[in-house]
Amino acid sequence: MPVRPLNVGVIVKLEPDFSEGNVSYNPDGTLNRAETKNILGPHSAAATLAAFYCKVKYDAKVAIGTMGPPIANQALRQAQLISNADELHLYSDRIFAGADTLATAEVLRLGVSRMNNGLGADIVISGHRASDGETGQTGPQTAWKLGYPFIGNVIDFHIDQEGKSIYAKRFISLYGFYDVIEEIQAPLPVFISADPSYKPSFNTISERLSLARNLNEARNKADNFEKYLQVFNSEGLGADPRYVGLPGSPTIVYKVEKIPKAKAKRRVEFVDGNDTVKLDMVAKKLIQLMTEAPIK
Amino acid sequence: MSGVTQNSEPSTGDLARIESYQHLYVVIEHEEGIPVPVSLEMLGEARRLMDNFNVKYSSNEKVVAVVLGDNVRHLCQELIRFGADVVVYADNHSLKHYTNLLYTKIICQIAEDKNVASSISPNRSENYKKPRYMFFSADNTGRHLSSTVLAQLESGLASDINKLVISDLEIRHEHKTKGQPVKFEKTLEMYRPDFSGFLWTTILCLDNRNPVTAREYHPQSCSIIPGVFEPITKEDQRTGTIIDFEPQISDEDLRIKVLSRNIIKSTIDFESCKIIVSYGRGIRDSPEDNFKLIEQFARALNAEIGISLPISKRPYQTKDQHLLSYMIPERVVGTSGRKVSPVVYIAIGISGAVQHLAGMKESGFVVVINPDSDAAFRDECDIFIKGRLEEVLPTLTEHIKKHMLMIEKRA
Repeated sequence: MPVRPLNVGVIVKLEPDFSEGNVSYNPDGTLNRAETKNILGPHSAAATLAAFYCKVKYDAKVAIGTMGPPIANQALRQAQLISNADELHLYSDRIFAGADTLATAEVLRLGVSRMNNGLGADIVISGHRASDGETGQTGPQTAWKLGYPFIGNVIDFHIDQEGKSIYAKRFISLYGFYDVIEEIQAPLPVFISADPSYKPSFNTISERLSLARNLNEARNKADNFEKYLQVFNSEGLGADPRYVGLPGSPTIVYKVEKIPKAKAKRRVEFVDGNDTVKLDMVAKKLIQLMTEAPIK
Repeated sequence: MSGVTQNSEPSTGDLARIESYQHLYVVIEHEEGIPVPVSLEMLGEARRLMDNFNVKYSSNEKVVAVVLGDNVRHLCQELIRFGADVVVYADNHSLKHYTNLLYTKIICQIAEDKNVASSISPNRSENYKKPRYMFFSADNTGRHLSSTVLAQLESGLASDINKLVISDLEIRHEHKTKGQPVKFEKTLEMYRPDFSGFLWTTILCLDNRNPVTAREYHPQSCSIIPGVFEPITKEDQRTGTIIDFEPQISDEDLRIKVLSRNIIKSTIDFESCKIIVSYGRGIRDSPEDNFKLIEQFARALNAEIGISLPISKRPYQTKDQHLLSYMIPERVVGTSGRKVSPVVYIAIGISGAVQHLAGMKESGFVVVINPDSDAAFRDECDIFIKGRLEEVLPTLTEHIKKHMLMIEKRA
């Protein structure tokens, strides 16, 4: 008997494009948002690639959702081009504005439950963190609200559809300690975040054939992405206004200021880069430090 | 656990709030029973904050360390020596390795447990609901754990914090106070550097005092950047309370299994090299050619190569695979990467965002090469070479090679 198709959900975000030539900074070093283009964030793209892997390998149904203003549908179009997604969801309502991560997670929880014709998702995938907000909280909080176990920083995974479970490898950096790679087994449904280094691989002939077919389909779909787009407002999601937007946000931004320069701890000596005599002295100093320092 | 309250009399409400939310809970991370550095850094900052808090508010609230694991009893005394008043530990074989689901549930059990609260402060725990404040580490584990714990406790969380202040603030907010000025006591101001490293955003976690949607949000919580706060000096004489917590674990929770765990040693060795040469967006005019100059310079000094965070996002279109292999997250120096302390640190074309500085400020001697003499790095270096790397590096590399050759001849 054929196994029921795997339903995959992805949550993504439209973010400023930080690549050279696209990103624009103000003279004080802060981001110039007006001049900077917006794109599907790179970590969202990694999550979308993980969904594409499910599409190619398991012939999964893929739905992609994002919360944001109407222009966020550009992120959905880019994500469809990467993943050959079957459904695109935009969760958009004025009352969602100003949401912190907890209130955003509430919207995304409701959104995921409406994915794949209301069947929801067996596996939900998010990026590691957004390039602009960078909290990395929205994914795990959505997982918790859905009641799905969360596995973060996934670098590789496969699904056992009959056993209804996931086998995932995750990367853990402990800052000042060593790094660890863990292998985890968890039952479906599950929520994973794709590590920024995640890259799918397609090795068998049937996977390669499926890959070519899906890439082709993805191009055709993305050309008509609006056909696949569903827009949900607060009412359409059945959101409780007390738990979304500003009322559902425990945190507020109280103030934004320039970070004051730290008190100088070193006495800096300025050297003119054109002064070869001075540069020779710098070279000598470096060699002296290098040769005299004890080996650690 | 809806968290919704209706306070008809503000004075009673204020009193209830004082009693309901108490202490600062610090979630400790450890590897095989050894606390990871950020755990002790968090305890240090918690100690300083609560010492001031108790003086300022004439109270006696505690720094409570929470530690989960298999065979972690021996860790408790150590945490007290580093500033904890109380350590609550849950010791169970199924807690040997972190899994998000089980750890989240048990930390929430501890945070909401009245018996634990009454062991901490016997006379003031009758109305105890949740911690007042809560700290986590902003690493791969703590980032996720803090998110799910606060989703369960239904309160606010700020991430990647590098400065904390407790104060009484008068707030006027469209939603929180319905536009009216309201005084929020004992508010944790959580300072967060943004991605550029030049702006500080202060996040507050505040109750909704708007009568239409009144709601209490505690604990006020954050994840803390590893490497920014100082641990206190270890005091062997410090005493404290150790509480053995019996966690409730269901079969359901055990369905997530850690099948294997492998320690990986990075091939990039920032620890044993004497010199690190890092580069940033200053290579932009000609990334491939400029990287060659940097590589030759680094080779002459036998140095390892690091990068600033923006470089790891591969901001340049290049097909040069060799260059791309030097634009990876493993090479990032700073709070989003590695913390390094070589004998000499050389920063080329890096402006000096706070996140980067936090990753290298313990270096012995610091040289900066930058055409902009106002770059933030000027206050964090010993020598500032003002100039474009295209012009400075060839000369400097030649000089170094010349001297090295002479040393070799002498030897």
